[in-house]
Amino acid sequence: MNLSRRAFLVFYRNLVSYKRFVVSTFIASLIQPLFYLITFGIGMGAYMGAFGGKTYLAFLVPGVLITSVMMSSTFESLYGAFVKMIHEKLYDSLIATPVSAEDAITGDILWGAFRGLISGGLMMAVAFFMGVFPVSVPAGLLLCILMILIGIMFGSMGMIVTSYAPNFDFFNYYTELVITPMLFFSGVFFPLDNFPAWMKTLAQFLPLTHAVQVSRAVYSGVYTKTLLLNLAFILALTAVAFAFGVGRMKKRLIK
Amino acid sequence: MKTIIKAVDLVKNYGDFPAVKGISFEIREGECFGFLGPNGAGKTTTVRMIHCVSPITSGTIMVDGLAANVDNRKIKAMTGVVPQEITLDNDLTVFENMMVFSKFFDIPRREARKRTDELIAFVELEAKRDNKISELSTGMKRRLLVARALLNKPSLIIADEPTTGLDPQARHLIWQRLRLLKNQGTTLILTTQYMEEAQQLCDRLVVMYEGKILKEGTPRQLIDDEIGREVVEIRIEAEEDARLIAELAPLACGHERAGDTLYFYCRDGRAIQKKLVELDLPNTVHRPATMEDVFLKLTGRSLIE
Repeated sequence: MNLSRRAFLVFYRNLVSYKRFVVSTFIASLIQPLFYLITFGIGMGAYMGAFGGKTYLAFLVPGVLITSVMMSSTFESLYGAFVKMIHEKLYDSLIATPVSAEDAITGDILWGAFRGLISGGLMMAVAFFMGVFPVSVPAGLLLCILMILIGIMFGSMGMIVTSYAPNFDFFNYYTELVITPMLFFSGVFFPLDNFPAWMKTLAQFLPLTHAVQVSRAVYSGVYTKTLLLNLAFILALTAVAFAFGVGRMKKRLIK
Repeated sequence: MKTIIKAVDLVKNYGDFPAVKGISFEIREGECFGFLGPNGAGKTTTVRMIHCVSPITSGTIMVDGLAANVDNRKIKAMTGVVPQEITLDNDLTVFENMMVFSKFFDIPRREARKRTDELIAFVELEAKRDNKISELSTGMKRRLLVARALLNKPSLIIADEPTTGLDPQARHLIWQRLRLLKNQGTTLILTTQYMEEAQQLCDRLVVMYEGKILKEGTPRQLIDDEIGREVVEIRIEAEEDARLIAELAPLACGHERAGDTLYFYCRDGRAIQKKLVELDLPNTVHRPATMEDVFLKLTGRSLIE
């Protein structure tokens, strides 16, 4: 893989263009998770009693936060990258410079992770004012690192999808068949314990499940041994998806 | 003159489709070298292989001692590309486009700012410096593409159909700028389907068709070899061909029928002209031969789709 520090120049390019959209994207990445927190967390939470000695909102926040990271980085890799590739031909101009195709795609995956970090960071701030926050300052920093890692994972997965996409409609398969189900079967809104066995098994194959588990542990400061498995899953999937996503996109860009 | 680019037995297949079928050519330092051909002839594919954004199926290209497909970053660092499609960054202003692009070539910020100002002036876009790309006309966008291609002070410029879709003013401005660069010693590679563009700019050129090089030479030489000096066009029904060819062919070096027109190619058209007056044929044109005649003769006069 012909990867260099120039990936960060591509990241920088995105940062320069981001200035214009910063307000609209802040609002967009905040609204939906905020609705989840308000409706489920406060509205429904009032009927839910305590979750392991904590409020339902405290259960919900780590999951919704990591879900918003997933959404931001995924959409950046799907729609963002597709527009740059097909409509704006931006990658064509990038790869005509010493920037390689691998640099360009990596830069955009990192950018998606950064967007995820912003979404998740905003969530963390909002939750803070609702009285839910990580157990310590180092835990908060750890959470930021986790968000970047999860952003790279979902950003890389998105790049694989984009590398096959003939048009925008293609993305519906991925968002409706992969992303949306993950939202409901990954233990974001309620614990997986009461699911039937087959659903529990299914959940173990969903990357979001593992991300939520780690996020929840970092928030609460309660670490168990199974977290290592969660983390191993995340790291392995990230490595494979990154290598495959970058490789596939390179094939599409350099014909 | 030193050879700067040497391609040997260059082949490019897209899956089963052969886009370039084993071509060889040499480009000399400081010249303007043209790739002429209709759509799908393989011109763009060839230049994309030269500046390393398309992998070579087989064969080799050496660019200033560097092998394409191997030393890609080095070749790209010394090359300026004016792309066929408008690949400007729509989210950024004219100035930002230049500044961000200069980063990719590791140009220090102060130097980048200086070059950006100079180049924006070079393509006469000072008034649009802080406008967004969407506020520019096609001609302005193409001029900005030329300016952007010069940021890294390239010793090799590749212009892939740089004036497609432009009005005559904008086209001439781009030609002038490209000629100016050539006069400063930059090697220029041009692909085009505009014969006038080829004649205006190219020292030497190749005519490509269906992935192969049909002819190579200077524009003047190609016209001379293929057509002669002059062309007589007669708009007349095809039934008259036999009679006219019998009368006129001895005076010409070649003839061809295409659509409603019978063409005679010759060194000196006056004899034919005289004959035409005798034959009382009013609907005729007598003109100097151009690259367009060469092009159409070599690649056929029917539509290529």
